[in-house]
Amino acid sequence: MMHALENIRAAKLPRLAALVAAVAGLGLAGCDDHAGDPKMQIGANPILPAIQQYLMPPMRIAKAVGWGSDETPAATQGLQVHALATGLEHPRSLYVLPNGDVLVVESNGPKAPIYRPKDIITGWVQSFAGAKAKDANRITLLRGTNGDGTPEVRTVFLDHLNSPFGVALIGHELYVANTDGIVRYPYQDGQTSITAAGTKLTDLPGGPIDHHWTKALLASPDGSKLYVGVGSNSNVGENGIGAEYERAAIWEVDVASGAHRIFASGVRNPTGLQWEPETGKLWAIANERDEIGPDLVPDYLTSVRDGGFYGWPYSYYGQHLDPRIMPQRPDLVATAIAPDYALSSHVAPLGVAMYAGTELPANYRGGAFVSEHGSWNRTPLNGYKVVFVPFSAGKPSGPAQDVVTGFLDANNHARGRPVGLAVDRSGGLLIADDVGNAVWRVSSLKPGSAPKPAS
Amino acid sequence: MQQHATITEATFIHDANQRLARRPRGRPIHRMLVSFSVAYFAAALATDLAYWQMPDVMWERFSIWLIAAGLIVAGLATIAYAIDLAGGRRIDRPAWPRMVGYALAVLLALTNAFVHSRDGYTAVVPTGLTLSALVVVVLVLTALVARALTNRHQFGV
Repeated sequence: MMHALENIRAAKLPRLAALVAAVAGLGLAGCDDHAGDPKMQIGANPILPAIQQYLMPPMRIAKAVGWGSDETPAATQGLQVHALATGLEHPRSLYVLPNGDVLVVESNGPKAPIYRPKDIITGWVQSFAGAKAKDANRITLLRGTNGDGTPEVRTVFLDHLNSPFGVALIGHELYVANTDGIVRYPYQDGQTSITAAGTKLTDLPGGPIDHHWTKALLASPDGSKLYVGVGSNSNVGENGIGAEYERAAIWEVDVASGAHRIFASGVRNPTGLQWEPETGKLWAIANERDEIGPDLVPDYLTSVRDGGFYGWPYSYYGQHLDPRIMPQRPDLVATAIAPDYALSSHVAPLGVAMYAGTELPANYRGGAFVSEHGSWNRTPLNGYKVVFVPFSAGKPSGPAQDVVTGFLDANNHARGRPVGLAVDRSGGLLIADDVGNAVWRVSSLKPGSAPKPAS
Repeated sequence: MQQHATITEATFIHDANQRLARRPRGRPIHRMLVSFSVAYFAAALATDLAYWQMPDVMWERFSIWLIAAGLIVAGLATIAYAIDLAGGRRIDRPAWPRMVGYALAVLLALTNAFVHSRDGYTAVVPTGLTLSALVVVVLVLTALVARALTNRHQFGV
């Protein structure tokens, strides 16, 4: 009897151990899986593969190295790029005032809490990608007076903010969206700094977790409402559904009273809002969920319907169920709207600008520029560029085109990462770069002007 | 009084004999650490069961910290085991079935830590919960087998 047991023990246990080791090894090796061509996931009907769940979710970051002295991003044919400002501290978003002054929001998120061992590792990995830069919490003003596109005036416009992101001017009132609330400041034309204390218009969902901290801001054309992009408090609800109260939503805030309602929900992280010039409809870019594969879920650009539900966290791209959320909500999923235009997976769109200017070639008019901050959990890397989505009759009308690239060097290290976009008064496209700590200006390559240096 | 002295003497002799038979060089350090890791892994099964019944993230967070703590202590236990071996301290016999069983459980727990690091419900149900249960089953079986073999040694079966 004992001998039999000994035999079983001798034979089975090591074999089982070997099996477990093999399975574990398989799972880890499985990280380097086959990501499809991102082009298959651009446009109205992205191809969505089956969900993959990982033992070890792939992390593939681009190490932040910064720009060399003469390096700039590369612009597509007919365009050129030059630095409007360098030496900034983690510039995240841009806003152009009516007099042409450019506001650069230098900001970073609050410290992420550690709820699980994973959070320690994620924080450590992200520090290599330059995501843990100090939070300057200020807005810098740039003013170019002689029209050569290089600003002569650079002042601290507003200081001591709390992880600011969105800015909107209505009349002579400037609204700044901190991570935890919208603050109103009086603004006079030509002012280069604001010292007046602000008054709070409304609280926004902030800490203690504040997973997606950026609050995008857009004023309605009549100036009566502010639209606010409020990101989710988790990847897919893993901090509890209670932490998601009024998050993953686009708020409509009444400027007169500060009262708000949820304009649209189920948008995981709406990082940029714009009015489509032809139809006057609200459009948003959004960052979708992670850890279910290199090609899930595509980030997107979409028109936003009043009262619309866009799936998060229960479903993605319409009614594709996400098994990671329990209890499920089939009633909500049944109403989930599929977004209009996929940008492909994990590109992390963080800036959008509908183009109505005249500086750039005519084919850009009416379309949308989207900055793709770049992936951190996909091999090969995806994003790290500014693309253009052509529009016609108020809808995207073709594949996204690369407009500004070169943020990655030959070793896949990040010289910069594009974030906020804005169109300046003369029609140039401005790009905030939070790893290169610069603001780039894209303009038409004029005949006779010097060709841009190769980078 | 007389009786008492005899008992003491007898106990002492018995104890001394047993120690002599098992190479008496102090208490092994690793044994306590192993007990701790086993307790952590067993507790993780309990919190996993709680999460399965009522998916509140609190239980899932308990589980992953318990598993992580169990793994850290298991790492320390391995170091202590090496020190015990080098120092000629007493190692529970038979040694290698215990070692293999424990190593298998720790390997499963390591896999489980990765599964529990997923986001949301599938961090636990069904794979995480299954692995937590398997870890406990392997540890219990190891203890039973080790005990059976120890008894056989002692009683000369």
